[in-house]
Amino acid sequence: MIIVPTAMIIDDSRAMRLILRRIVTQLGFEVHEAGNGKEALDLLETVDPMPQVALIDWNMPVMNGLEFVTAVRSQERYRQMTLMMVTTESEHGQIVRALAAGAHEYVIKPFTPEAIAEKLALLGLVPSGIV
Amino acid sequence: MSAPTTDDLHAITEQVWLSYLDPEGVNPFLPSPDAPPSPHVIAAVSVTGAWEGHVVMTFSERAAELSSAALLGMGDDEVTPDDIADAVGELVNVIGGNVKSLLPDGSLLSLPHVVTGESAGNTRWPAAVEVCRLQGSWQDEKIAISVWTSKSAGEGA
Amino acid sequence: MALTQHEFAFVSGLVRREAAIVLESGKEYLVEARLLPLARRTGTVSVSEFVARAQRERVLADQIVDALTTNETSWLRDREPFTAFTDSVVPDLAERRGPQHKLRIWSAACSSGQEPYSLAMLLEESVRAGKYEIIATDISTEMIERAKAGRYSQLEVNRGLPVPMLVRYFDRVGTEWQVAEALRRNISFQKVNLAAPLPQMAPFDVVFLRNVLIYFDLETKRSVLRRIRSLMRPDGWLFLGAAETTIGIDDGFERVVAGRASAYRPRAATTAPVGATRKG
Repeated sequence: MIIVPTAMIIDDSRAMRLILRRIVTQLGFEVHEAGNGKEALDLLETVDPMPQVALIDWNMPVMNGLEFVTAVRSQERYRQMTLMMVTTESEHGQIVRALAAGAHEYVIKPFTPEAIAEKLALLGLVPSGIV
Repeated sequence: MSAPTTDDLHAITEQVWLSYLDPEGVNPFLPSPDAPPSPHVIAAVSVTGAWEGHVVMTFSERAAELSSAALLGMGDDEVTPDDIADAVGELVNVIGGNVKSLLPDGSLLSLPHVVTGESAGNTRWPAAVEVCRLQGSWQDEKIAISVWTSKSAGEGA
Repeated sequence: MALTQHEFAFVSGLVRREAAIVLESGKEYLVEARLLPLARRTGTVSVSEFVARAQRERVLADQIVDALTTNETSWLRDREPFTAFTDSVVPDLAERRGPQHKLRIWSAACSSGQEPYSLAMLLEESVRAGKYEIIATDISTEMIERAKAGRYSQLEVNRGLPVPMLVRYFDRVGTEWQVAEALRRNISFQKVNLAAPLPQMAPFDVVFLRNVLIYFDLETKRSVLRRIRSLMRPDGWLFLGAAETTIGIDDGFERVVAGRASAYRPRAATTAPVGATRKG
């Protein structure tokens, strides 16, 4: 059985979701999209299998990315999911906050496709040969 | 913490262009001293908290179409007004977020706001003064980026 | 000196054929800016002369395509040599040299500095923290200055640098990130032309020479490898780029497997047991 890896893209900007979708699709992922943290939590209840990785914007309406990371980290069943912030928040202190809340990786906007691919390779989610 | 400068705006803009609008680095944003004509599309984010102000991008109609098409990977005759609002909103969000990193800790970024058409030229920033500005062209179409601060917050907080 | 119309036409035709990138006229300044470091690297006096040579020498034409199509260097993108370095080479040398030995590492074409700083970060997180020195060299004065400054744009720190390392070893300065003093103090930078006689240096335990040999013809490759070998400890390690090898060029090296990477060691030393070939 071939298991296709899935990624969840959480960003309130449709343009940014499109850009990220294009990149991770090329890396072989299937994609789920959500427009904020709350939508993403709801969607996680319904999707099977669970995404290997979530790409998470910080500033979003309803529930922001930091709140989403905290919520996901508080639930044992999401332990296997890798959390990668993809955000314009780029102060040293903000990055530390996100890591403390439980994010595994962090990409600062703007980013090139290679940046996303290489971070996913560092996390062992895509073979480094593809990058 | 010193205020953002035109050089900072240029460095940030170059990176945004290389990431989304000009990945090959062959078609950069070219700064120029000429003042742009009245804009057709305005995209802005506000900064609140420790620092108060706005980051504003203005586009000619064609510049907005070209930038949106490039960002979304579409043909420039395909983009709809919704696509343009989405795309220029995201551009100002990314530039605004990077400007915020130059501002005092504890500043917050708003969601983007986009105005298009006739009324764009009438957009005003009451009680705010310009901190710095980068203007120029991309594919011969005018784009300007500016940072504004509201006087009272700058002096008071 | 500005590019002539004819020279620009050659370059734009080349990148259009090879990389499907369209360079419209008016972009001469961009071609010049990108090719100037290459022209200096190969010792030509001007971009025009470099372009003229590239019309006869395929290897230079490839460099033009590279220069106009690739952008930032990645930090730990090619993970295998770095993993081999931390998992195999550092423990092997610790065993051979004892715990107090100061590792000497040469980053022989350091470009804008990502490689020597990556090695320093990996060493700081290993049992050798503080017990190493890195010599970083490049042929370009401009690159040595950049590497020494240790300042990187947001786009550059996004490239293959694990974020825990970013927050631990970098400080935000304006729109850029600055490498922390703790890393810089163990690295020295020096301009060195690998294709000419090398300056006097104490022998190295490890040499990183990645993606450099591809730019040289066979004779130059051979002399570069020979000179580097003469500056290596007999049981030292050499890492090349994934597309490079010493095989068929310099018999003085033997290829060994280190983790999932290939490394090269001076031949006499490989009669002793090699830590890196052990499983695990």
